[in-house]
Amino acid sequence: MNAYFEFRNAVKLLCGELALERIPSELAALGSERPLLLSDAVLSKIGTLRLVQQAMESEGCPPAQVYTDIPVDSSLEVVNRIAALYRELDCDALVAVGGGSVIDTAKGVRLVLSQDTDDILALSGVENLPLGAHVPFIVVPTTAGTGSECTGVAVIRNDANGVKMEFLSPFVEPDAAVIDPRMTLGLPPKATASTGMDALCHAIEALTCLQANPLSSAYAMEAIRLIVRHLPEATRRGSNREARFAMALASTMAGIAFSNSMVGAVHAIGHALGGVCHVPHAVAMTILLPHVMAYNAERCAADYARLLPLLVGEERAAATLPAERALAAVEAVRALSARLSELCGLPLSLHAAGVENRLDFPRVAAVAVNDGALIVNPRAAGEEDVLAILNAAF
Amino acid sequence: MVVALVLRVVHAALTELQRLDSRVRRELEQMPEGMGYAVETGYRAPTLYVRWSGGQLQRCAAAPPAPCCALRLKNLPLAFLFCTGQMGVAQAYARHAFTISGDVADVMKLARLINLVEAYLFPPLITRRIMTDIPPLQVNPLRVYGGIAFGFLCNRYRLSR
Ligand SMILES: [Fe+2]
Repeated sequence: MNAYFEFRNAVKLLCGELALERIPSELAALGSERPLLLSDAVLSKIGTLRLVQQAMESEGCPPAQVYTDIPVDSSLEVVNRIAALYRELDCDALVAVGGGSVIDTAKGVRLVLSQDTDDILALSGVENLPLGAHVPFIVVPTTAGTGSECTGVAVIRNDANGVKMEFLSPFVEPDAAVIDPRMTLGLPPKATASTGMDALCHAIEALTCLQANPLSSAYAMEAIRLIVRHLPEATRRGSNREARFAMALASTMAGIAFSNSMVGAVHAIGHALGGVCHVPHAVAMTILLPHVMAYNAERCAADYARLLPLLVGEERAAATLPAERALAAVEAVRALSARLSELCGLPLSLHAAGVENRLDFPRVAAVAVNDGALIVNPRAAGEEDVLAILNAAF
Repeated sequence: MVVALVLRVVHAALTELQRLDSRVRRELEQMPEGMGYAVETGYRAPTLYVRWSGGQLQRCAAAPPAPCCALRLKNLPLAFLFCTGQMGVAQAYARHAFTISGDVADVMKLARLINLVEAYLFPPLITRRIMTDIPPLQVNPLRVYGGIAFGFLCNRYRLSR
């Protein structure tokens, strides 16, 4: 165990039935009357955003403005633009409804506003910012994957070089997160499966990286248990509210875990793949997870062995020789993604995910080794190691 | 005192390893001209300011202008652990021992450089405890120590300008 660790989760969680309808009273308690509602075009089109708007309007708290121009792969420039709009409209709170991109963008906006600046680029770093002004901020996740509603990090693309930048500050955490099963009911099977695997990845990396601590590990273990039990069903039958709610909780718990213990090489390589080859984050996570687990296995034997009962059940785990448990855990994760792939066509190789050739891999590796997530990976990885992992995943 | 000395030695070691180790040379030579790093160790505590300029890692009297990446150890006791081989870069990060202002990618480059310096300056007994993987050495550490001693005698690591 680490000689010293820190643990923080200051986000109030509003979970379960009619959770969306709690937003107005929460905003009132935070002193807001003119919230800026942030989301994306897809959620607006499929009606998910409408549910949130209705919940706000019915309690006499309509948003001052609804902004849905956040792209899938948001950037620093989008953040700056929204911060300017917030000031122009004299808003007094942020409500973000969406997946990773919307939430991270909103976190960036919160940072710019609270630090009273115009450009987020100047704020990059780790634990480097003072508290600043309080900007009320509520997050409504619409995928069960990123866990971003409870993490002290925002990852946002820098258009200047196409690289994703990390902003680590406890002050990007929202005041409250709304976990309402209605938000993920309409998520298509493939997105359900890949975002669920992203959450699994958060939990497994949180459990095994150098910053792991007993509190983060407790959240990670429970998240893994819930994901293994409910992700196939949520993928198969999206209307199953119990499975949806379990996955939403698992995602949040995995978020709390990795916010306090960081992630590792899967995310470092995945961020780089996103920046260079435009592989969607959750898809990259699904593909890379077993390969990186195999790479890390020699250092994580005890942790992986601890995972095995959660992945394959107590009996099968007990029947596996202790020396084989770590690799059995890697295989169990591989089998889970294969099963999901059968259910919904989830790609299991980079090639299947649309990466046409290996020409960009050296560039991906060069970017990946500069990703902050790599610093606490249980096994050091240089460009050659990353290349080998990419080739295996191709 | 120890911290101040170690910071000077780190700069000296990087200057020597630029010649002796291809990985250090590559890492340094890939830096954009004018890239600065600031390492601060607490309130009124020792600092190291360096700037990559004209193919050399110059030591500066004050924090270099942007682009600069600042790594601030949160207090002097942590800086002491960090500088005496009792806590590696990854461990320091995992223990929230420092803050970073600037691009995290630039810190990853610095972290690799520090790992290489530590691999040369500390015996394996120490490096095994503070690193998950020890980078292989390209030259005998004695050559690095010798180079540093000679460099100090010749006043090679003085403040630039
Ligand atoms: Fe992720």
